Amino acid sequence: MSSGNDASTQAQKRAAAQGRAQGLDIGWTVFSYLLAGMAAYGAIGWLIGRAVHVSLLFPIGMLVGLAISLGFIIYRYGGQGAVTRPSPEATQKEMTGDR
Amino acid sequence: MTGDVGVLASGGCHLFSGCGFPAPGLQDFEWKPFFTIGSFSFTKPMLLAILAALVVIVFFWVAFRSPKLVPRGMQNLGEIAILGVRDQILRPSLGRKGDSYLPLLVSLFFFIYIMNVMELIPVFQFPVTSRIGFVWPLVFIVYFLYLYLGVKNQGAWGYLRNMIPPGVPAPIYIILVPVELLRFFVFQPFTLGVRLFGNMFAGHLLLTIFTLASWYLLSLSVGLLYAAGSFALAIFVFLLETLVTLLQAFIFTTLTATYIASSVEPAH
Repeated sequence: MSSGNDASTQAQKRAAAQGRAQGLDIGWTVFSYLLAGMAAYGAIGWLIGRAVHVSLLFPIGMLVGLAISLGFIIYRYGGQGAVTRPSPEATQKEMTGDR
Repeated sequence: MTGDVGVLASGGCHLFSGCGFPAPGLQDFEWKPFFTIGSFSFTKPMLLAILAALVVIVFFWVAFRSPKLVPRGMQNLGEIAILGVRDQILRPSLGRKGDSYLPLLVSLFFFIYIMNVMELIPVFQFPVTSRIGFVWPLVFIVYFLYLYLGVKNQGAWGYLRNMIPPGVPAPIYIILVPVELLRFFVFQPFTLGVRLFGNMFAGHLLLTIFTLASWYLLSLSVGLLYAAGSFALAIFVFLLETLVTLLQAFIFTTLTATYIASSVEPAH
């Protein structure tokens, strides 16, 4: 019985450590995406702006890059929480005993 | 340490004594060299980095010079240290197959931790990693390692292709290429280094500000009240830094493990 509890505690600790590592990785990847999006499209905007003599393309490029990054972050990581979270309908069914 | 802080530390400068508060700044991260050979100057942070490396080497050498099946004394501590890194940092990212990277991660974790914790030890009182020149070599080691492992395990083309997760529509794929390349080759290593440096730099600056302010405000006036407040904050920041030093070493090593994992196997 106690060995079963130990195994369960170990599994919980492993899951918590995995969650920590994954959270750190995702957090810093998201941060890098935001910076990279602004830098990449800011640079492209700056280069085009330099060629056509429109300096406004640099900040516009940065904003476009930020929007692309945000969109991709939502696409890639946005659904992760929803997968594990039970839907309200399922919770209600559980609570009312409606099986 | 040079400049105004030295004047303050020598004792004379207090509130209402006519001298203004010598606020700490970048000059407190510059050190007079112990000695100079040609253009090379040997400074306190260098000495502390060497000491940190020696502490790690000597500790693990003493712990495991004659290992016993039933560990005793230093071997116990050494095993706890290694198992801590293995179970909290390596295994969650790399699993059992990543155990061959354990020596690297253990060395990295404890080297960074000892360099950080130098900030809190009297006499040393300086976090080596608050000088970014000591951080970049560590970042480059990690950076070149995961690039090498990525190319070795996935091939150069496969490694580049796997940066963008599968299932992304072709037009979006093209839009994402510059972002992904810049993120992967520039910002990922940049944030790895700058976070460690920035946290230790800011922590040391805060600690210096509150400690010096306590001493500066110490006088037989209303300043005594402020000095007490500043001293309380210095204690608070000190306690906070005991956590930050450990946390920054943990984050650096954990991210190293996850970067290695993404090189060994493509991210899904």
